Amino acid sequence: MSSRILLVDDERSFLDVLAPFLERAGFQVETAQDGETALQRLAECAPDVIVLDVMMPHVDGREVCRRLRTAGNWTPVILLTQVGGPAERAMSLEEGADDYINKPFDPGELVARIRAVLRRAQAGQRSLASASRLASGDLLIDRQAHRAWLAGQELPLKAKAFAVLEYLMLHAGEVIPRERLLDDVWGWDDAPMSRTVDVRIAELRRHLGDDADRPRFIETVPGAGYRFVGPVEVRA
Amino acid sequence: MRRAFWLAAIPWVLAAILAGALRSGLVANPVLAWQADADLATLVLLGGLSLSGLAWLGCGLSWYWLRWSARALAAERERQAQDHQRFIRRLDHEMKNPLATLQVSLASLQSGPGQTLATAQEQVARLNRLLQGLRKLSDLDSYAMAAEPIDLTDLLGKAIAAAKSVPGWEGRNIELHPQRLPWSPPPVSGDEDLLLLAFYNLIDNACKFGGPDGSVQVRIGEDGAAVVVEVADNGPGIAERDLPHIFEELYRGEGARGIEGSGLGLALVKKAVERHGGTVAVRSRPGQGTVFVVRLPAKPSQ
Repeated sequence: MSSRILLVDDERSFLDVLAPFLERAGFQVETAQDGETALQRLAECAPDVIVLDVMMPHVDGREVCRRLRTAGNWTPVILLTQVGGPAERAMSLEEGADDYINKPFDPGELVARIRAVLRRAQAGQRSLASASRLASGDLLIDRQAHRAWLAGQELPLKAKAFAVLEYLMLHAGEVIPRERLLDDVWGWDDAPMSRTVDVRIAELRRHLGDDADRPRFIETVPGAGYRFVGPVEVRA
Repeated sequence: MRRAFWLAAIPWVLAAILAGALRSGLVANPVLAWQADADLATLVLLGGLSLSGLAWLGCGLSWYWLRWSARALAAERERQAQDHQRFIRRLDHEMKNPLATLQVSLASLQSGPGQTLATAQEQVARLNRLLQGLRKLSDLDSYAMAAEPIDLTDLLGKAIAAAKSVPGWEGRNIELHPQRLPWSPPPVSGDEDLLLLAFYNLIDNACKFGGPDGSVQVRIGEDGAAVVVEVADNGPGIAERDLPHIFEELYRGEGARGIEGSGLGLALVKKAVERHGGTVAVRSRPGQGTVFVVRLPAKPSQ
């Protein structure tokens, strides 16, 4: 059975082109043009994932997301962000969205993100993105305090290294290209920076005592990027 | 300001001394003898006090005025910065929806006639990059910078390696010359990633505008409490009338026509360097070359 998407955006012309694209990719698509309608449609069609534009009049995307989570609804949400500063994007994850993608985007990329989010989601359970503490084996991170511990020992991580670790854990199992890490964590994807990603990853591995050849946590996928391979779970 | 307050007390002090002298009969008062029944000492004291009072009032008012105008100026600057950010945000919003729609439509049509579509998609990508660049620049004002000690020689090496890895630039002549000193230049304090981006932009520029056979010289040295980096090319140079504007956003000089670029690189360099408390300047001679000079404050040794 194909997954059902609720697609919410206030631009009619955008819905008109994106909905057929997603349908061709094999999804059932329901649409709504504002936050209120989205919340109503949600009850009727019980989607597997919600793709939500942030900038909408009246009830905006963040608000819809917040209301859902407050009501204990853990349907995965992907936000379509407009103002793409890294701080604002990080905020999306803190508000309980499962992922975000910056407008304009390659629609193929959106399909990949939807599939990744669906793979990660377990029906009725809290998503990683809505939790403040995440664990993988003896690694524990506190997303609000920006601290990390390995086997009870606190790791002296620099701000960027922590942000990279958090991002990879939130997207556990997904291969994340360097450009995407740069874009989402740094906000720049300029040419000289892809080495910087490698430097931060090497730094992280050193702290985590992770062997690049037999990784427990971060795996290098040659020619593609990095992937968090450990199982990630929510900690209270 | 504090000195003015003390100076304003002079009439009062003088009056107090005079009054004291009159009281003790040290000074006779022939001039004001007609007022013999008034207590002259008290009058003098009061007169001095009121003069000082007036002076103090003046000081207070001017101090208040200065503070008020400084605050007004700061508020005005703040407001301008906010206006600017709001403008970028609106531009962002206005352009992103049409772009997003276009990009999806183009991707949907991809199976159709190839070349036109590819060109259209390239243009969308280009507009997208422009928007991202503007956004990035605007974000830099509020970007949370790291404050780590940075070895610039090492960082310039990385920037050069990155430029040499650009396809087509593998064989480029880019040289790093440390100043000949018995010691190496002191570290600077700041955000390594941001500075790497800034110096990469300068080197990238020098490679682009210096021409395919040009050479790029990167020099590093110290000058007093500053670390100085020069990035020089032997290209066609920059016209004199363009020089005052090249650090402005989206400004493209005459020599830049036909060379791919966003018009944002140097604006980013300037902002990144200034956020580190440094300066960037340019010298150029048409037909001979261009030198960019970046000065960054050296990290004080503990």
